[in-house]
Amino acid sequence: MRPGILKIAATLLTLGSTAASAVFVTSHLKNATAPLQPPVLTSTSTLGGTVVVGPSVQPTSQDPITSTYAS
Amino acid sequence: MVAHDFLAMGTSCCLFAVDRPVSRLRAGELWVRRLAARLTRFSADSELSRLNAAAGEWMPISADFEAALRAALRASEMSAGLVNAGVLPALLAAGYTRSLADGPPSAALMQGQPPARLPEVLDVGRRRARVRPGAGIDLGGIAKGWMADRLCELIGPNAVVNLGGDLRAVGGGPRGQGWPVRMGDVTLMLRGHGAATSSVRRRRWAGGHHLIDPRTGLPAETGLEEVSVVAAGGFEAEVVAKTALLLGPNLAPAYCAAHAMAWWLDGRHDG
Repeated sequence: MRPGILKIAATLLTLGSTAASAVFVTSHLKNATAPLQPPVLTSTSTLGGTVVVGPSVQPTSQDPITSTYAS
Repeated sequence: MVAHDFLAMGTSCCLFAVDRPVSRLRAGELWVRRLAARLTRFSADSELSRLNAAAGEWMPISADFEAALRAALRASEMSAGLVNAGVLPALLAAGYTRSLADGPPSAALMQGQPPARLPEVLDVGRRRARVRPGAGIDLGGIAKGWMADRLCELIGPNAVVNLGGDLRAVGGGPRGQGWPVRMGDVTLMLRGHGAATSSVRRRRWAGGHHLIDPRTGLPAETGLEEVSVVAAGGFEAEVVAKTALLLGPNLAPAYCAAHAMAWWLDGRHDG
């Protein structure tokens, strides 16, 4: 294959990729209103502090067997 | 479910397990006592005390002690130096020279000297370690979280180990849904989690407390007095809780959001 054809093909491939990328980016704009974090349960506790519980931990009404409270 | 309570390391400890004999938990207590005897700074015979006394010299150490020292180095790395086991000279200067079970400290130094970063004063090799002259190591709460993780693995696949508030919970608990554990004023189901509390409300005396801020070399006064977190393990939870407390009320919420699964922050004096 002639070198000139290879150069033309490489140029067309580069231009095509650039154009396709530009189309993709402009059609997939970042949603500025998307939440930055998963929803969490936040409350000011009756003890005076603030408790935040993420989605990977479930609160329960069961009686606790132990506590994180240092002694 | 079986349970076993005991006092060790100057605090209350409790172990729980499902489908395990209580003798397994009693063996766990012995494991805690044996390891704690190696890691305490309040006994001149402990490996830690001998390492501190031999500052400047390489000292042969056990595999367990090597693992604990490597955990301390990892805690320093995870917290960008805020969790620093090399604060022993500052702790002694603040008056914490003996176990609080032997009475409250009587003196406190009000001008601190920030300690060097831990990797600069502690070298750990295979079964040997060295502390640089003038430095000293106190493993404190790091050891409790690290021990809770290890002991939980030894007890079984459905167990809780709580060493003075630093805990690890694995398995589905007695009902298969997890282990209900109190944090602040909520109860959380822990299953494959760790939790820990860092507080300046206990181990406190006139003019000081046990949590040294490595940025000042003085007992921490950040505006937060108690932080509890749930994380992937007891060791990680201990590091995150202590780091959050040292960061203070402005930075701790964002830090916890990035590193913890649940957290409790309190800066109010309670007495």
